[in-house]
Amino acid sequence: MPNAHDALALAKRALSYVKGADQASVAVNVSDASYSRFARNYVVQNIGSLATTVSVNYVKGKRIGSSTTGDTSDAGLRAVAARAADVASRVPANPEFVSLPKPGTATGHSKSVFPATASASPETRIDKLQSVFARMERSSLNSSGYTTTQSLASAVVNSLGLSAAWEGTYAGLEIKAIGERTSGYADFWTRDYGALDAAERAERAASKATVSNEPADFKPGTYTVILEPPAFVDCINNLYYGFSLGSIKENQDSWMIDRIGKHVFSPNLTIVDDWSHPLVANQPFASDGAPTKKVVLVEKGVPKGYVSSTYLANKFKEANTGHDGYPINAIVMPGTKSREQLIAETERGILISRTWYTRPVDPRTCTITGLTRDGVYLIENGKLTKTLKNFRFFTSMVSALKDVELGNKLYRSESSDAPQTLLVPDVKIAKFTLSAQTSFA
Amino acid sequence: MANQHAARAARVLDTATKRGAAYADVQFWEGTSEQLFVQNGVVRGVDSSTTVGYGVRALVDGSWGFAGSDRLDDGGLDATAARAVAIAKASTRIANRIRAVTPTDKYVDTWSTPLEKDPRSVSLSAKANHLLTAEKALHVDKSIVVGYAFTFGEDTIKEFYSTNGSAIRQRIVQTGAGVGCNAVGGGDAQARGGPGDFGLYQGGGWEVVDRADLIRNAARYGEEAVQLVKAPVLPETTADMILTGAVLNLQMHESIGHPLELDRSLGWEANFSGISWATPDQVGKLKYGSDAMTVYCDNTLPKGMATVGYDDEGVKPQRVTMIENGVLRAFESSRDTAAQTSLPQTASVRAQDWASVPMVRMTNIVLAPGEGTLEDIVADTKDGVLMDGIRSWSIDDHRLNFQFGPQLAWRIQNGKRTKLYKKPTYTGITPHFWGSLDRVAGASEMVAWGTPNCGKGEPEQSGRTTHACSHARFRNVTMGVKADA
Repeated sequence: MPNAHDALALAKRALSYVKGADQASVAVNVSDASYSRFARNYVVQNIGSLATTVSVNYVKGKRIGSSTTGDTSDAGLRAVAARAADVASRVPANPEFVSLPKPGTATGHSKSVFPATASASPETRIDKLQSVFARMERSSLNSSGYTTTQSLASAVVNSLGLSAAWEGTYAGLEIKAIGERTSGYADFWTRDYGALDAAERAERAASKATVSNEPADFKPGTYTVILEPPAFVDCINNLYYGFSLGSIKENQDSWMIDRIGKHVFSPNLTIVDDWSHPLVANQPFASDGAPTKKVVLVEKGVPKGYVSSTYLANKFKEANTGHDGYPINAIVMPGTKSREQLIAETERGILISRTWYTRPVDPRTCTITGLTRDGVYLIENGKLTKTLKNFRFFTSMVSALKDVELGNKLYRSESSDAPQTLLVPDVKIAKFTLSAQTSFA
Repeated sequence: MANQHAARAARVLDTATKRGAAYADVQFWEGTSEQLFVQNGVVRGVDSSTTVGYGVRALVDGSWGFAGSDRLDDGGLDATAARAVAIAKASTRIANRIRAVTPTDKYVDTWSTPLEKDPRSVSLSAKANHLLTAEKALHVDKSIVVGYAFTFGEDTIKEFYSTNGSAIRQRIVQTGAGVGCNAVGGGDAQARGGPGDFGLYQGGGWEVVDRADLIRNAARYGEEAVQLVKAPVLPETTADMILTGAVLNLQMHESIGHPLELDRSLGWEANFSGISWATPDQVGKLKYGSDAMTVYCDNTLPKGMATVGYDDEGVKPQRVTMIENGVLRAFESSRDTAAQTSLPQTASVRAQDWASVPMVRMTNIVLAPGEGTLEDIVADTKDGVLMDGIRSWSIDDHRLNFQFGPQLAWRIQNGKRTKLYKKPTYTGITPHFWGSLDRVAGASEMVAWGTPNCGKGEPEQSGRTTHACSHARFRNVTMGVKADA
């Protein structure tokens, strides 16, 4: 299994082959990842891959070259070091470069390795899926999705004395339950595969797909909506691009410009970036080894902070938060109400389970468009009354988050477009624009 | 080209067979890549990398297992072959599975991407200086706050071996280049860049960078970005719309290429990027678009990013008509998906890298040309809008309802460009939209627009696709849709 000790030893060995640099760094990433992907209630792809990368950054004056290899033999490490040096000798100097990060350690601790994930076999994953397929077949549903177990390790060392290493496990299950005219979705993301109850998740997906088999038309417009975590994370992830020094000071296309310190959002909204939260438990350093700091991004509706890389922090003489550009551990702090309460207190609104193909249209207003999928329901007098066909939404997230209530439970949520580890609760948004309806659910 | 991995392949295939595989194949990848990125007069990043590894597929009782590894020693080869077989055996425990077909074909061959100018013949400093010159040309005004230019190059040797006796060695070279900028003013930021949607990416060598014409394009993009900041937003309108190839190729990608992936239509992709409104039983019957619409899948296309001698399951490609005069004729497929439908196999199987399982991908899609030029279409348009560049795009998980946001729009009145607009949008439903196609420009303005990062699969793989097209006009399109209206 990949582990921090071996990754660090490999990084140090690679650094020892770097000759003649003013500064140099080595980053090592090791992964052993397995995926069992299913469709139509059987496994269509079943895979495992073991991979190691070693990346060398070579600095001579202000000339910088980088090179990556998967060859961890002594000859391979010598070659990648020489190639990085060769690149540095052939490119113009970068006057913006100041320094690689100096030694430092992130404060905090979070358990990131779980044996149940690390030891999962192909049979373990198939066992989980058998319970999914059995539940689907009981309701004459099809299913699509995947389950994964992964062991990861990373390490960074540099010639200034920085040394950082991490190891973790990662696992998940996504299930789309597919009926004749409707679908439902459930997922679970964790570092501990033993905590995954696949049968319970299958029940959740199946029950959402079978609320009604007659999805209704509904007039597009601006409505109160409740976004469940898979939908909320997909939408709010577009906001996170703006919490970056690069988009604020360099590209100058962040929605944060002219809004920092102002009451922009609902006072119910607080967002922090914290790698050490137990549900996040992420690598506590950036890809160049800089320690990752906890950052308050929004406090009670007021945008406050943003994240930075070593390069941009040096360029703009700001604090280095140890991020590779964007928040990757963002947490929307939970509110006080359960999902059931949020629904019960809604006179007329729409519950959205999941979204898809959400894209930024205007970064300065964080205007996004995308589509709902896998369960849209009309709420009338506090109850779900109908399954609706899907909608396209087209709205500014800066505007939408002005009036929100948040659920009381945090979910670790992933989206296809969000490789980060993001935690969100349910959210009830007072005004959310659904601009068109599709012909299917 | 001499095969380098024949002995290793023999060991892998022997181990897989002894462990119980009825069929197995292995593909070794040796890749080098080089990327340069320049921003605001500074060479921000230069990376020169290598990767070596292999992926093994084992077929046991009709179920596939895949294992990838970069361990090339005997122990690594044995362990990876054994892992692929063990994974396949685990899948056989599912009772109601559809069994995969056992491959029977055998090819012993070599193939290379045709190169006019080998990227290795151009020095790194010359490449960097070219990008610095191009990036500088963007800065036509102080409102341009960020300019960038980049090149991308990959040179991959693949060796494929199977228990049927196939031994195929290929050299695949792909190159890309682009330039773009952000202009700000009046509380707004406008991006402009290209060529194409995010640069010109093609199969080939440094000649692709020459074709991208970065320096000349940069000056134009800079001027247009400055104008866009001051331009009004395109108002809501329904009119004729002309798409340049820079937009049309992405429209083809989302509303033709993806819906016609056969694995998607069979539901294999349902949880991630969705299914398709087009189904195999509609072949020969479904009216996908107007009579002006004929589309090919051509994995032999010169300059195509997906052009190969053999696909990643060792099948020789050919040109297949997907849509003929608006009528659906075929899907992009693999052995297994084709076998489930009795449709032709199109050699559309690709893996992102050695660590990724080969699967059905959109490959090279070609919109058959019509006649004339873009300017002929503009001159022939009484009242319309011309869209260019890409800012935003989104389509539903049946590939029907889409909304695109190009970088700029020109109002066309009486055959002439009259006014520039920013933040244009247009929306439509796939068969209605392609049904409104009334004119495609001629072959002289066709470009093979490649995409280097098409997302599909779980785990998500980044695929290389191409959409070859000229320009086209669509009738009565809804444009200028607004958020929070």
